[in-house]
Amino acid sequence: MKMDRIDDILKRYFQPDAEPGDLAKQVLMAARASARETGRFLDGISIQATSEGVSLIRAGRLPKPATAAARRVAQRAREELAEYFQGERAFFSVPVDLSGEPDFQKKVLAAARRIPFGEVRPYAWVAQRIGHPRAVRAVGTALGRNPVPFIVPCHRVLQTGGGLGGYLFGTDVKRRLLSLERTTPVYEGCTSTHIVCRVGCIHGRHMRPDNRVVFASVEDARSIGYRPCKVCKPQAA
Amino acid sequence: MGRVARGDEAAFGELVGRYGGRLLGVARRLLGSRADAEDAVQRALLQCYLGAGTYRSEWAVSTWLYRILTNVCVDELRRRRSRSGELEPPARPDPPGEHLDLRRALNRVPTEARVLLALRYVDGLSYGELARIRGISINTVKSQLRRGKSLLKAALTKGGAA
Repeated sequence: MKMDRIDDILKRYFQPDAEPGDLAKQVLMAARASARETGRFLDGISIQATSEGVSLIRAGRLPKPATAAARRVAQRAREELAEYFQGERAFFSVPVDLSGEPDFQKKVLAAARRIPFGEVRPYAWVAQRIGHPRAVRAVGTALGRNPVPFIVPCHRVLQTGGGLGGYLFGTDVKRRLLSLERTTPVYEGCTSTHIVCRVGCIHGRHMRPDNRVVFASVEDARSIGYRPCKVCKPQAA
Repeated sequence: MGRVARGDEAAFGELVGRYGGRLLGVARRLLGSRADAEDAVQRALLQCYLGAGTYRSEWAVSTWLYRILTNVCVDELRRRRSRSGELEPPARPDPPGEHLDLRRALNRVPTEARVLLALRYVDGLSYGELARIRGISINTVKSQLRRGKSLLKAALTKGGAA
């Protein structure tokens, strides 16, 4: 087959569509809705930490972290959560301290942590993953007691049929988190440095908005000459 | 664009009227379904509306819009790929038509090359514009397009489509 022929086929396939109808109106409505929703969610949340990591996130008030090191951890978690809620962070780098949790709980939380950003898995998947395929309900209970929601993404676990299941902060928040993650990209590159980062990396924060390109994978970025960031190590994500 | 940044809804309507169809064309060819494409274009336009203040006049408006749109579409492709380990078909695929073979063949072309092909063939963008949209050099644009086309050719010849 000749290249000209490929050209022809592509031209025909890519002919523009008809004008979209009331797209502008729909977008403006969505803009108003998002302005209303822009969350003051973080205000109502307290974070407890040890010097090892975040140990508890709950609505309402919690005692302040005891040491300066713990306070620094809690502050860092708060900053990362704020970015996450604004759709500017696709991973958490702040450590968690789950040392006080029972073994089963630890296993369930570790499995939930492996669900990639923006994706969902059924409760049964978690049960399978920890080697207790029949303990689906116990998994649900363990996730319901997740001490560090958001950071350990228990909101990414749904019922097998696709039902939302329960959530610590109510299913409405769960739905909003999932839709937030659906619109937050994971890999971004800077057109001036040709470095690709995970969204939320410190490098990305210094990037001008018009230097930002999104990638589907680190390999894709590499294929056009971008290199992975050495700080956030996106290839390990 | 200045008017859009000041929240002028009529100006935004004009902008959508002028570029909406082409954006939709690109998104549809990248994502393979009208419904997913509309979703992507809507998200991209929302970003444009909210981020109009960051628009800088040395950009052509269409280049800027395409940059935002391809960012949204590429992320959607990532999500599909990571869900299944392989590239999976769109959630609500368009009914198969005469272009089924081409659509299948395009799915085998790496994402970056596919994005460039779509932009080049929907709107006939220049190499310079393509380079600007994805933040790469013109030589990379050329080599990606060449690579994409030869992959397509291989897939189509093997499939006996042409």
